[in-house]
Amino acid sequence: MPLDTSTYSLALLRLDGRRWNELRRLHAQISTQAAADGSSYLEMGNTKVLCTVSGPHEGKAGGAGGGPRSTQAKIEVEISFAGFSGVERKKRQAKDKRTSEMSHTLTQSLAALLLTHLYPHSTITIHLSILSQDGSLLAACINAATLALIDAGIPMTDYLCACTTAAPPTSAETEAGGDPLLDLNGQEEQELPFLTVATVGKGHAVSVLIMESRVRMEKVEGMLAVGVEGCKRVREILDKVVKEHGKRFA
Amino acid sequence: MPISILPPSPQEVPSHTDRYVSDSDEEMADAGDNDFTSSNSHSIVTPGETITSDPQWMRGHGTYIPPNSTTIISTLAGTLQKTNKLLSVTPLRARYAPEIGDLVVGRIVNVQAKKWMVDIGAAQLASLPLSAINLPGGILRRRTAVDELNIRTFFSEGDLLVAEVQMLHQDGGASLHTRSLKYGKLRNGLFTSLAGAGGGGAKRNGSGGVVRSRRQAFTLQTTAGEIDIVLGVNGYIFVSKHTITAGDEKDASITRLEESVSETLYSSENDVVPKDLMREIVRVGTLIRGLVLCSRSVDEEMVVRCYEVAVEMEAEENVMGDVLVGQGAKSIVENILLRIESGV
Amino acid sequence: MAPPPSLQVNLSPAELSFIRSSLAQTPPIRLDHAKGPKDFRSMRAECDVLPGANGSARIALEDGTEALVGVKAEVEKSQWRPVPGESARLTAAGEVTMLDVDDAADKDENTKGKGQNSWVEISVEVPGFRDDDALPVFLAAMLTETLLASGELKDRLYINNRFHWKLYVDVLLLSPLLSYPLSLLSMTTHLALLTTRLPALKSEKDEDPLFDDDWDASVQLYGKERQQIEKPPVIVLAMAVGSNIIFDPSKEELAVADAVLAVACTTSANSGGRIVSIRTVDPPSHLTPPGVPNAMNSATGGKVPTSSADALTQRELLSNSGVWTPPRGGMKRSLLSGIVKMVVEKGGVAEEVIEALQRVEIG
Repeated sequence: MPLDTSTYSLALLRLDGRRWNELRRLHAQISTQAAADGSSYLEMGNTKVLCTVSGPHEGKAGGAGGGPRSTQAKIEVEISFAGFSGVERKKRQAKDKRTSEMSHTLTQSLAALLLTHLYPHSTITIHLSILSQDGSLLAACINAATLALIDAGIPMTDYLCACTTAAPPTSAETEAGGDPLLDLNGQEEQELPFLTVATVGKGHAVSVLIMESRVRMEKVEGMLAVGVEGCKRVREILDKVVKEHGKRFA
Repeated sequence: MPISILPPSPQEVPSHTDRYVSDSDEEMADAGDNDFTSSNSHSIVTPGETITSDPQWMRGHGTYIPPNSTTIISTLAGTLQKTNKLLSVTPLRARYAPEIGDLVVGRIVNVQAKKWMVDIGAAQLASLPLSAINLPGGILRRRTAVDELNIRTFFSEGDLLVAEVQMLHQDGGASLHTRSLKYGKLRNGLFTSLAGAGGGGAKRNGSGGVVRSRRQAFTLQTTAGEIDIVLGVNGYIFVSKHTITAGDEKDASITRLEESVSETLYSSENDVVPKDLMREIVRVGTLIRGLVLCSRSVDEEMVVRCYEVAVEMEAEENVMGDVLVGQGAKSIVENILLRIESGV
Repeated sequence: MAPPPSLQVNLSPAELSFIRSSLAQTPPIRLDHAKGPKDFRSMRAECDVLPGANGSARIALEDGTEALVGVKAEVEKSQWRPVPGESARLTAAGEVTMLDVDDAADKDENTKGKGQNSWVEISVEVPGFRDDDALPVFLAAMLTETLLASGELKDRLYINNRFHWKLYVDVLLLSPLLSYPLSLLSMTTHLALLTTRLPALKSEKDEDPLFDDDWDASVQLYGKERQQIEKPPVIVLAMAVGSNIIFDPSKEELAVADAVLAVACTTSANSGGRIVSIRTVDPPSHLTPPGVPNAMNSATGGKVPTSSADALTQRELLSNSGVWTPPRGGMKRSLLSGIVKMVVEKGGVAEEVIEALQRVEIG
């Protein structure tokens, strides 16, 4: 495993030449599809995600009759993986457990972020297409969804930006030291325990924190701190993209 | 060339020079008001950006004050608008939000006991109560149970109508009425919408979308006849053959309105439209779609200018034998706009 | 086949009647007035957009509809099939070896008839539809059928007796459904297949397949060196209104069609245009309610017919074309042959479309 060998601790360079605190190339475009209410395309390294938002519009369960009418907009998130997104071609079921977990996380965090009380009895539908997977998938989805929602003109209190961090790799030389790694690619995610963190705005308000592997308790704080820093940087990049877009069309 | 496949276009930069520039921004900057983050009229505010901390300002649409603070932050990506002491942010793109008095074109989605639900492209369906339409037989006719049973003879699912927003409910849903002679069912024409490619509903600051302040229902004179164009504020547009409403001919006073309610108000039958007029109607529809794709605002002046130039260009092409067939609506309108900006 | 939800008509009878009379003129006035009956909507295309796939393409129409297709090929173990003329010998339990037949007639190039339909798998994904909804299933079936029709493609996937390429074609509609996407998806698939490359085979005969690591040495699936190969078919939609034939209809034009055909066509160097398959699509206009003429509308001073028989008689006597009536009956044979001719003739629709797509690949 590349990170466990001594080459990392010698040069402190990861396989793709990054240091511990460097983000991958983040390329984002907003308003990529004219036909949708809001759309965005985001690449974090080789992870490519396309997001479209439609709404707010009248939900399928409709306002006419039926159950109690809600005072807030309902948010629906659909995620679909393209068959060619992984190295091996694999067709994912729509109701796959992992996919449902991801969409549930997104629904919860976006419901807390968006000012849904402004659109009672309506539904906002968010559709994410994963075109290529190479690590930090949930983070890329969150970032793409934020951009697409901004494009659709749905009010939110601030940007919701996400990234991943991993526990520092242990080896004989770096015992207590070692910095947590920022923005993992596919290979690194398989080797190391990692977490995905999303923050609202420039501050330290953490909205999403997901960890699926085991790590020693002492390391979590460090990972979180690096993650929050990373999210700040992601926010700057996304903000620049939105402002550039605004300059052209305002 | 019947089929044209082009390479993907790079992100285009619209280069119109007659952009509406926010004057108030510059005045405020001159007055030495340093509280604002962006006094440059070309940059926008983004969600989470602090607009000002000055407690003298009131917050309007698109802004938010976090609890325990007086800072106003933006919740949308858009341009800042200052009216007197009110700060608001108009988004670059948003769904149509109905206001009282708006002239809208809508489509009936379902029919209920005493009202219809109409899709006007907003966040919720609008309602059109039975009591809010003109019944043939006069304005003052009472609605009877028979009218309720025959509700589908007036409007059925899928019908298009032009109406005015009468009031807004608490939750933002609109209630429509067609109680004027110029409102009612639409026929003899074509429907297009700004939503979809290029538009994201009506934008309010003039850079695309239907502008509220201009005339929205007008008549275009063409060589083949007269064409009525209705530009709904919600971005739905109807282009049709001109129908002479009774209101045009006689001066309909209030007491005699009932006589003027036309018999053909709720007709689903089209009049015979001559072929040339049909062609012109389709042409106007194509031009409007092209304007949308070029991210231009759609208003009376623009449509009339484009139409005149389009007719000119076609006449020239026919004479010179240089007919460019197979071009999309967008490229036609691009050519027209180039011509307008360079020539006149 | 009932029209899929994407085709459901949401227009008023007055609009339908107007569009139909516009299309029924001679020459037909299409909704995009600058287009003639044989003109396609303009589109933007590019290929090789997915570096991780064997082949890929993306096409976007002017109104925002976009499709993305990725082709991936994986080596799969073949199921043993008895081939007539060879004898088999069972050795150890579960192992079967084939006696080598005269190799002269069995060179690698001659793979005719060795392919199997299951080696090509197409999946279509439309946002908002589940995988087992009617629309994606029907689209996938149409695309698969046309690709496998000539049988050449699957034969090209044969490696040796024990292994073959399995071709996965994933078709994604990126934008929400704005018009019937069959034509767009088929053109994007065509473009993606044209640019698909398979790694070059280094091993011989029946050994475990070994491929050249150098991607530059890869072989194109529809290679240029084999000119007699037919291009993957493209499905084109043609509709009829009255006696007019219109190609590549938009959603509104489709809503008033008398009959709709999905024609799969291809070209090859020596035989010009050729039709691979024709399928009818149930036009959505069949399910629209007829408009109510003024004579029968109580709101306009007419009399509502007292019984349904009365209503039918009145409609039969209607000569006014201002009222929308859903079309009845099937397609005239003369129209059918007209469409076929327009597609297949020299310089006809098939050649135009395939040439235009080829220019994208080269350019």
